[in-house]
Amino acid sequence: MNINFSKEDLAFKDEVKNWLDNEYPSHVKEKTDKGITISKEDLIDFHKALSKKGWMGYNWPTEYGGTGWSASKLYIFNKELGLAGCPPILPFGVGMVGPVIYTFGNDEQKDRFLPDILNFNTWWCQGYSEPGSGSDLASLKTKAVLRNDLDEDYYVVNGSKTWTTLAQNADWIFCLVRTDNSGIKQEGISFLLIDMKSPGIEVKPIITIDGDHEVNSVFFTDVKVPAKNLIGEEGKGWTYAKFLLAHERFGIAGVGASMRSLNRLKDIISQLDNDDLQRKVNQLEIDLSAIEITELRLLSALENGSHPGAESSILKIKGTEMQQALSELFVEASGEYALMYPGPHGYENNYKPAGPDYAAEGLSAFLNMRKTSIYGGSNEIQKNILSKFVLGV
Amino acid sequence: MNLNYNEEQIMLREQIQKFCESEYDFYKREDIVKSDNDFDQNVWKLFAEQGWLSMPFSEQSGGFGFGPIELSILFEEFGKSLVIEPYLSTIVLSGTLLDRSTFSEKDDLIEKICSGDFHISLAYAEAGKNYDYLNPISTLDSKNILNGTKTLVLNGSNSEKLIVTCIKDNIFNLVILDSNTEGVSINSFSTVDGQSCSEISFENVQLDKSNFIGSGDQAVTLMNETINLATLCVSAEAVGCMESCYLKTLEYTKNREQFGQPISSFQVLQHRMVDMYIESELAKSLLIRAMLEVNNRSDSMYKHVSALKSYIGTSGKLSAKEAVQLHGGMGVSEEMMIGHYLKKMVSIDALFGNADFHLNQIGN
Repeated sequence: MNINFSKEDLAFKDEVKNWLDNEYPSHVKEKTDKGITISKEDLIDFHKALSKKGWMGYNWPTEYGGTGWSASKLYIFNKELGLAGCPPILPFGVGMVGPVIYTFGNDEQKDRFLPDILNFNTWWCQGYSEPGSGSDLASLKTKAVLRNDLDEDYYVVNGSKTWTTLAQNADWIFCLVRTDNSGIKQEGISFLLIDMKSPGIEVKPIITIDGDHEVNSVFFTDVKVPAKNLIGEEGKGWTYAKFLLAHERFGIAGVGASMRSLNRLKDIISQLDNDDLQRKVNQLEIDLSAIEITELRLLSALENGSHPGAESSILKIKGTEMQQALSELFVEASGEYALMYPGPHGYENNYKPAGPDYAAEGLSAFLNMRKTSIYGGSNEIQKNILSKFVLGV
Repeated sequence: MNLNYNEEQIMLREQIQKFCESEYDFYKREDIVKSDNDFDQNVWKLFAEQGWLSMPFSEQSGGFGFGPIELSILFEEFGKSLVIEPYLSTIVLSGTLLDRSTFSEKDDLIEKICSGDFHISLAYAEAGKNYDYLNPISTLDSKNILNGTKTLVLNGSNSEKLIVTCIKDNIFNLVILDSNTEGVSINSFSTVDGQSCSEISFENVQLDKSNFIGSGDQAVTLMNETINLATLCVSAEAVGCMESCYLKTLEYTKNREQFGQPISSFQVLQHRMVDMYIESELAKSLLIRAMLEVNNRSDSMYKHVSALKSYIGTSGKLSAKEAVQLHGGMGVSEEMMIGHYLKKMVSIDALFGNADFHLNQIGN
């Protein structure tokens, strides 16, 4: 047993740090360091900088233009970017639909979509949840009917998707749609790529309790989608959807970003001379260490050839609980100034209210982070998964 | 980076598991606890034959030179079977302290320990001192006369020799003496987890130069490293307990039928068992980090052992309480094994600094 990374991995870590120091866009860094919400353009600049370095395909095999990194390099990359305060890499293109396309798509689809994902020329969003289909995703109703007009095959899509993250910025959406109602509900689902500029698509904002516009409702009314945008086989969408969820194994715990928050909290609390807060931050330090080593254990098992399965649900549950607990402790450390909340984008025009400058940021994160135990398969669903596949009950 | 156990370590675990399954089931353990003896001398001799008593000692002292990783494996497995033999006291607290010391008679003593015929106890705790082991009230005067009272001396009544912490001229000292020396009186009682410990008083006990194991900084380092290793060991024991609590509860709920179905089919119980499983895995992760830091003798080894000890103190007791609850009435029956894990977790939390104590250490 050895907890240290190899020389090669350490050299890679230096390379990542070097990129963060020199090529990570400074105007983005300035904002994230101050806790200011970044714009769409900032996010694009960040992703384009990764593309330029050849790191956009961080989780892809080399044959599709990815990095082909080992699990430990992937871990280091995620951790260092998190520690540096980078925005999370938008998962919808590179993390989600990309691997589905190169695994189940045809050559034409690979040529058409993959390069734009790697160069961040297309912004993807995810069309999974529906108003009536949350944790019971397979009950989804958005309907796609195959038609043929003038020798052109196309689907007509009707229905709606919800909680669609950053759909307001998206060029394309990958959707789970129902193409068959006759069999069991999982079997009639297909995986369809839809251009957001198609006539009949309407995006309406949903404002969350932090006051921010991050998620949306997306409505489809007689939207015409070329049949060549179907991934794989009709009716096999559920298989691809499950593959997609399993693909996002690492980085899910957000260890790097949580460590950054923890370090800031330790600094803040060390100046407050408050034993209660000190014990709470100590507890989070212990818990985060446990999460980090659990992730490294899974990584280690993976590199030794075994295939950890449902165990990664532990990382989803504990990683998101950690993100929430950290943001909550920021709020507690603000004391009575937790009363004041300017909204998700902070105080405008450099207006500086009374109280510590981390108060508003903490509250914004605290409210925003409630989503983490709900999305990606709620933490209760994760416990069902662990019950079934680990406990065997 | 590699967090997988190597083949030798996996074999060691299997060897201990096999032994515990065949020689140390719960009924056997109950017989030992209810007997007039504090532990089973035959079992202890079998430990010696398996080589486990020599495991952590350096090769110069006739040991295998195994470190914190192997000790953690041993204690994890002992935790699963709730072994009560005084390995912690004789081997870890006393033996490894002697092994790392410059005491002139240590080779002879370690040889006797390894044979399985000889016990030593470390008398480190005093009433009212909480977990401050480096500032005992027990004092040696200028003529080397020892006075003081030690409490919670594990296995004290079975030990032929005692290692005692004391202050002489404001300096911390470790001395060793025969337990039948004039002026030593021993009062023994049993612990919540079926072990024995003693209150030992020293009244004008005359010592001389030959009794000294270490003095000043050297003795402080020996003491700190010994307690840290022992803390790691009992924490590993707790990790073993936690895994057993989870697995035994799962097995019980799969077999126990109510309302015409196994109670494991109820989601409210499933999620609570998932929580027990998760806590057990997270505790294992902290154990792995702590044992590797101790193995590397890193600067942060004390901190990582504190993190582990604090975590298992809280989550270990929680797992054991959940195990009792999910076993229903069976959980509170003395004749069932499951409730005994709770007692073990209480005793482990109390040893060497409880969860709150170590939580405070993290920020220091």
